[in-house]
Amino acid sequence: MGKWLLKLVQLFNPLFRRQGIDVDRLYTIVEMKLLMDTRRVYMSWKQGQQKENKNHLTTILLLYSLFGIFMGVAIYSMPSLIIGMILFHSYVIFMMAMTLITDFSAVLLDTTDNQILLPRPINSKTLFMARLIHVLLYLLQFSVAICLVPIAVTFFRFGFPAGLGMIITSQLSVLLAVFLTYLLYLLVLRFSTEQKIKDIVTYFQIGMTLFFTIGYQLIPRMIRVEQLSATFTVHWYSYLIPPVWMAMALDSIYALNFDAVHVVMLILAISIPLLLYWIMSRFLAPSFAKQLANLNNDSEPAKKKVAGVVKQRRSISTRLATVFCINSVERGAFQLTWKITGRDKTFRLQFYPALGYIPIFVFIIIFSAGKNINNELAMLSYSNKFLWLIYIPLFAVASSIPLVTYNENFQASWIYHSMPVSKPGYLLSGNLKALVVKYFLPVYLAFFVFALFVWGPAIIDDFILGLFNSLVSLLVLSRLSERFLPFSRQPNAKQQSGKFLQVILQMLIIALLVLIHFLMLDRTYIMYAFAALSFIILWFMVKNLQGIAWNKISV
Amino acid sequence: MSIIQLQRVKKHYSGTYVLQGIDLSFDKGQIVGYIGPNGAGKSTTIKILTGIISDFEGEVTVLGHDVRKEPMLIKKQIGYIPEQAALYDVLTPMEYLQFVGKLYQLDEVMIRKKALELLRLFELADKSDMRMNGFSKGMRQKVLLISGLIHNPEIIFLDEPLSGLDANAVILVKEILSQLKHAGKTIFYSSHIMDVVEKISDRIIIINKGAVIADGTFEELREAGDKGSLENIFTALTGDHQHLSTAGEFVDIMKNFTNG
Repeated sequence: MGKWLLKLVQLFNPLFRRQGIDVDRLYTIVEMKLLMDTRRVYMSWKQGQQKENKNHLTTILLLYSLFGIFMGVAIYSMPSLIIGMILFHSYVIFMMAMTLITDFSAVLLDTTDNQILLPRPINSKTLFMARLIHVLLYLLQFSVAICLVPIAVTFFRFGFPAGLGMIITSQLSVLLAVFLTYLLYLLVLRFSTEQKIKDIVTYFQIGMTLFFTIGYQLIPRMIRVEQLSATFTVHWYSYLIPPVWMAMALDSIYALNFDAVHVVMLILAISIPLLLYWIMSRFLAPSFAKQLANLNNDSEPAKKKVAGVVKQRRSISTRLATVFCINSVERGAFQLTWKITGRDKTFRLQFYPALGYIPIFVFIIIFSAGKNINNELAMLSYSNKFLWLIYIPLFAVASSIPLVTYNENFQASWIYHSMPVSKPGYLLSGNLKALVVKYFLPVYLAFFVFALFVWGPAIIDDFILGLFNSLVSLLVLSRLSERFLPFSRQPNAKQQSGKFLQVILQMLIIALLVLIHFLMLDRTYIMYAFAALSFIILWFMVKNLQGIAWNKISV
Repeated sequence: MSIIQLQRVKKHYSGTYVLQGIDLSFDKGQIVGYIGPNGAGKSTTIKILTGIISDFEGEVTVLGHDVRKEPMLIKKQIGYIPEQAALYDVLTPMEYLQFVGKLYQLDEVMIRKKALELLRLFELADKSDMRMNGFSKGMRQKVLLISGLIHNPEIIFLDEPLSGLDANAVILVKEILSQLKHAGKTIFYSSHIMDVVEKISDRIIIINKGAVIADGTFEELREAGDKGSLENIFTALTGDHQHLSTAGEFVDIMKNFTNG
C-alpha cells in the first residue's frame, strides 16, 4: 500500500522543488524506510510466526482490517449513530496509540539513522520532509486499515454526509492518538532512562498481545445490541471525552441538528486536535528531539556512583533462594532463573500474556452465567467455583516451563558444562523452584486469600491439597518435555514441535486432578490423607529431579 | 592550504565540555591517527567534521568549506565509517549500498557493479542478497567500509574501523588505507588500538578529556615520551601509571577470597 500512497505524494513534487527539497533523494529515503517498515518485526503479531521474506506489514494491516470488520458490524447493529461512533472513535484512538507505542517506537527511538544519513549529502529540508512523509504514510496505512470497513459501513448505513464526515473525524482522532503517544514518550523521556523506556514499551507490547488474543474471542460476543440503550445523554464530562465530540459532530451532520450542544461538540472535535497538533509541532517536538539527543549521548558523564558505598542489601531472590534451596548449585540456578525471567524481553513477551489471562479467565468463569455482578458475588459462596481458583494458576504458569529453556544468549550455557557440577538435576530443580516461587505462589496465595474471604475456612483443606497437586503436576509436566538446562536452547528452532501433544496431556492431567478433588469435596479427612499422599509424591519427585545425571540432559 | 582545519573547537553536552578547545590542521594525503581513551572526545570530533553535529563553538573548515555554511559541498566529498556498525540491518548489503549510492546520486547500474566487486573482495559476494541482521560484527563492518568509500571520497573518516574484523580483514583494510593514501586521499582515523595506529599513521594526535595532549609523528612522540611502543607513550601521556598496581591487586584478591 505504501508504494501507491507514495505515488500520491509525488503530486506535490513541484511544491517540494520550490522549497529547495531534493526530490530524488527524498524518494530514495522514503522508499527505503517504507521497505524497512515491511521487514520490521511487529509486536502485535506473535513473534515466532513471523518468517523472513514475508511482508509483515501487509499481514499486520490485514489483521487490523479484520478487526475493523467487528467494528463495522457493531456500527451496523447499533440503533443510534452516536453510540456507534463513540465506540468507533475510542477504538481508533486506542488502536493508533497502541500501534505507535509498540511498533513505531522502534522508529522514533532509533538514532542509528543519524549516523547513517547525516554525513551524506542530504540537505536538512529534504531529510526533514523525508521523515515527515514517512511518518504520515505510516499513519495513513494504519488508519486506512483500521477505518476502512467501519467507514464503508457508515456510508452504507447512515448515508453519504455521515461517511464523509467520518473520514475527517477518524483522521482527527489519529491526530489525537499521535499527540497522546508523543506526550507519553516525552514524559517517559523526561523522567526515565533508556532502559526504562524499553521496559515500558515491552509492557505495552504485552498488553497489545493480550488485547489481540482476547479481543478476537470476546469482542464479537460482547456486541449484544439489545443490552445497549439506544439513547445517549450528554453529561458534563461528555465535554472532556474526545470520542464523544467526534460522535456528536457526526450526529449533527447526519441529523442536521445544529443546536448549541452539537455546535460546541463540533467545534471541540475540529479545534482541539488541530490545537494540540500545533502545540506538538511548536513546543513538544523540539524538546523531544533534544531529549532524544541526550539519550544517545555516550559522552555524558555517568551519574555519580560512589564505589564502596553501594549498599550490600541482599536482594529478594537471594533471600528466597536461601529459604527454598538446599545447596549452592540449586541456589545459583534459582537466582539465575529469577533474574533472567524478569529481564529477558523475549521471555516476558511470550509468558506475561499468559499471566494476564489468569484474571480474565477467573472473571469469565466466575461471572459468566449471570448478568448482575453483585448478585453473582453473593451467590458465589454457595458454589464450588473455588476449584477453578485452585487450578487456574497451574494452567497459566505451566507454559513458562518450556519457555525458560530458550534464550537469545543460549550459547552462554557452556557455563553449566564447564563448572564442576556433579548433579545437573539441581540446576533443573532450582530453575523450577524459581518459577514456582516467582509466578505460581503469589497468584495462588492471592486466590487463597480471596477464597478465604468468600467461602470461609472450609476451603483451607482444598487449597492445601490443591497446592501439592499443582506442584506435582508441574513436575509431571516438566518431566513430559525433554530435559534442557535453563536458557540453553536457541529460540525459534522448532519451538513449536510437540507442543500440541503436551497441551493435551496438560489438559488431561489437570482435568483428572480437578475430578479427583471434586469427588471428595465434602470429605475433609480423606482430603487431608490425599494431601499427605500428594506431598509424599511431590517429595519423591523433587528428589528424583535433583538426582538427574548428566547423561539424562538433552543438549 | 590545509584540507581540514579546526580552530578553538569546543562542544558541550548540558554544560559538560567534552571538547575543550581543539586547534588542528591537516594536510592532504596524510593518514592521521586520532587516539585517546573512551570518552576523550574522538567520536565527537569526527561527528563535527562530518557535519553530524552542527552546534559547537569555534571554526571548522573541511576542503576549504565551512562545515556549518556549506555542508553539502563537503558531504559529497567525504566518506564516514561510523563505529558500532550503524546501518539498516533489515536490508541486504546490496540494497543498503544501492541506497547509499543513490544518496550520492551515482548511477544505479554503476553502483551495482561496483558494490558487487567490492563485496567480492571482502568475501561477501555470496551474501550480497541476504539480510544483514544475521551478519557478524565483522561482516557489517565490511559493508560499512564499502558504503563509506563507494563514492570515491577525498577525505575518509573512520571511527574504530577495525573492531570486529578478523585478522586477515584487518591486514587487508590497513593495506587499502595505505594505498588510498598513495592515491592522494586524506584519512582521518580514530582508534584506541595503539599498534594499528602506530604502523600506518603519518601523524598521531592523542587527545584526553577533550584536549590534544600530543601531536606528531610516531618517532617524535617516542622521543617525547618514554621509549618503546606507542602504548607506553600513551600510558605516560594520559597519566595512567596504575596498571601495574591494579594487576597486582587483582591477583591478590583472586588468591585471598576463596572458600573456607
